[in-house]
Amino acid sequence: MAEEVTFKCLRCGYTYKGTYDRKVPEERECPKCGSNSVRPLPKGKGD
Amino acid sequence: MAEEPRIGVFVCECGINIAGTVDCDEVTEWARTLPNVVFSVKNRYTCAEPGQQEIKRFIKEKNLNRVVVASCTPRMHEPTFRRCCADAGLNPYLFEMANIREHCSWVHSDRKKATEKAKDIVKVAVAKARLLEPQEELEVPVTQAALVIGGGIAGIQASLDLADAGYQVYLVEKEPTIGGLMSYINKTFPTMD
Amino acid sequence: MDVGRHPKIKLLAYSEIEEITGYIGNFHVKVRKKARYVDEIACTACGECVKVCPVVKPDEHQLGLATRKAIYIPFAQAVPASYLIDMEDCLGNNPIACGACAEVCDPRAIDYDQKDEILELDVGVAIVATGMDVCDPTILDEYRYTKYENVITSWEFEILTGPGYVTRGELLRPTDRKVPKSIAFVQCVGSRAERRGNPYCSNICCMNTIKDTLYLKEHHPEIDCTVFYMDIRAFGKGYEELYKRSKEVGVKYIRGIPGDIVEDRKTRNLVLTVENTTTGKIQRHEFEMVVLSIGVIPRPDTETVQRLLTLSKAADGFLMETHYQLNPIDAPTGGVFLAGCCESPKDIKASVIQASGAASRAETLLSAGKVKVEAITSEVIPDLCKACGICVDVCPYGSITVDRKAKTPASIVEAACKGCGTCGAECRFDALRMRHFTDDQIIAMIDAMFEERPEEKVCIFACNWCSYGGADLAGLSRMQYPPSGRVIRTMCSGRVAEKFVWHAFRKGAPVVLISGCHFADCHYIDANRWTQKRVEKLWDKMEQKGIRPERLQLEWISAAEAVKWTRVMHAVEELRKTVTREEIEETMRILSEEKGK
Repeated sequence: MAEEVTFKCLRCGYTYKGTYDRKVPEERECPKCGSNSVRPLPKGKGD
Repeated sequence: MAEEPRIGVFVCECGINIAGTVDCDEVTEWARTLPNVVFSVKNRYTCAEPGQQEIKRFIKEKNLNRVVVASCTPRMHEPTFRRCCADAGLNPYLFEMANIREHCSWVHSDRKKATEKAKDIVKVAVAKARLLEPQEELEVPVTQAALVIGGGIAGIQASLDLADAGYQVYLVEKEPTIGGLMSYINKTFPTMD
Repeated sequence: MDVGRHPKIKLLAYSEIEEITGYIGNFHVKVRKKARYVDEIACTACGECVKVCPVVKPDEHQLGLATRKAIYIPFAQAVPASYLIDMEDCLGNNPIACGACAEVCDPRAIDYDQKDEILELDVGVAIVATGMDVCDPTILDEYRYTKYENVITSWEFEILTGPGYVTRGELLRPTDRKVPKSIAFVQCVGSRAERRGNPYCSNICCMNTIKDTLYLKEHHPEIDCTVFYMDIRAFGKGYEELYKRSKEVGVKYIRGIPGDIVEDRKTRNLVLTVENTTTGKIQRHEFEMVVLSIGVIPRPDTETVQRLLTLSKAADGFLMETHYQLNPIDAPTGGVFLAGCCESPKDIKASVIQASGAASRAETLLSAGKVKVEAITSEVIPDLCKACGICVDVCPYGSITVDRKAKTPASIVEAACKGCGTCGAECRFDALRMRHFTDDQIIAMIDAMFEERPEEKVCIFACNWCSYGGADLAGLSRMQYPPSGRVIRTMCSGRVAEKFVWHAFRKGAPVVLISGCHFADCHYIDANRWTQKRVEKLWDKMEQKGIRPERLQLEWISAAEAVKWTRVMHAVEELRKTVTREEIEETMRILSEEKGK
């Protein structure tokens, strides 16, 4: 199930909202620095 | 483990490609201090015939049962050195490569730091080599037919060559006719025919 | 053409490949042979059907510059020499409505009910020769290609002067159907441009223009031909001579690429403004016609072939060879070879040379009759297997089976295993052993790496096909980056087990980087999706343990992305500098206490 989450770039620290589905992995890229180290923050963090 | 590893380390200078930035003498000397390394030597070009002959010679002379070549990327010469080991009677999977060219001498200019890194790369390769095991490769038959995808000038030529050599060819073309872009062309250079 | 008649060639025209499975020496291919609605063998190409067909359409083979019927043959010498029906427009879709062609077809070749056919083939080798396409001229708007009729592309020039066109080789100006008195050729349209079009040189356009000018001069010496160029690249055998000949017959060459084209409304002539870079002066030149010498691009459907055969694409979009100089024909997938323009833009001669090379490389395999496949496959240790079945779920090739109910250990079909190692990384019971990339070997490499001065090093896991290749290319390109990275190569990033990452941190790694192929490039179908899932889990667990998740980095780097590799090396070094000795020691303490429990 896709859900709204906050993504955090672990390279530059930029955060943004987006949809995330554990079952359907998508290649992610930080819109700011281009890193792929983009972490979907667990619920309750970064909201 | 059946027998104690006896590792030989071959450090390639690659002309000045590696030796220009990495102190290959130092790496060679130091490699001898690593666990299970019984022999190390520097070559000008390990991949060249004399270099390969040295590997074969020392496998026999020093009774080596593991070989580490510190040179370029395994994506290029791993098959070469595996064959070389096999020729000397060593299972090709008892060979390991340390990439001190693409990942080291070519991307760093500080000689001291590059040499330190090269030593680490060799050390990591030796650590793996100690635990290498012989493997048997599966031999599979090759179906005696070829698929050619695209019926332009390249696909046509490849198909004809293979078919003339006696092999069955399946030439798959998306368009209703073969010929590709070439079929549009009026005259061709440089002959103007 | 010989291809149509050769007893050893089965020509499948109007066909598309739907699926390729298997491996070197043993590929299984599914091909869709699309319905032509005309029996290829029965059709005698007499052309009676065309005379009666009532449907007129723009002819795509003539770029819409001429027309064709709903039943048509692409061109007179087409192979197979058979007509086909464009069913989208055919009125015979409802034979009661039309059926005219079937009535006049003497050999009774027309069959409105023909269906697509699926053919299954077994082959040992594959040659990819999917070719190239031409660049879209509208990206350079200053040339007003869409606005001014007398601005045409070099590709249209080929059609308009082709023997199949109505003018039978005579070039006429589109607006007044007269032979133009003056004509300009503008080079590098869509090529050698960083911002619009492509950064690379399209290789063939200079010689093509020289050829076109000679063709014109041969028929109409009075035509004033001028070529606007950056450099003339006439580097092949006989090419320089042809360039000289074109100058000798009066073709003018002006070094400078026009900044814009404006049409005179009355005469429909075109005025080019250009900085002549030889004289440094701004000039204006008037011509009756302009030919834009457009560059070439990878075919848009290259991606399909890439996916079907798990090939790699270079940054320019063309297919990547195994090694630029020493292995320029073999594709990274065993048993697959590249020929012609799918690999890079090239002229006919170079295409033919590469095609013969590809055929010869393929023959080497075929004539050997057998091939050894790398022994890098997975094996089950039955005593440790709990038959949980996670390996079955993650294997991209379906090569593992397990009976979860009966609790019998998993088993692997070795020939189907490609050796990504994802099963080994996911198994919680160490019951899967990845040959030549065992847990013990990788752990020993990490130990060796961090034995001395761990705080100075970044532990990098790089997959063999993409990231390791990207690092190789950075080396080949002599890009410079900090020397802190230490690479451990695995076949796929899917092999990188959680325990490797924990072990690196336990041994004092300030930063760990896992790098793999972009999702579209994964050489093990989708194994690297598991890498990402695993890294996400690791980030959460790190945070729970009080270790900064930032210290584990993830990057997708293709074999062409040397620049990205270099940038990432700088980035991880910056990150490493933020990790203090205290932080490293704290992490080591947390992780070793945990292990002790």
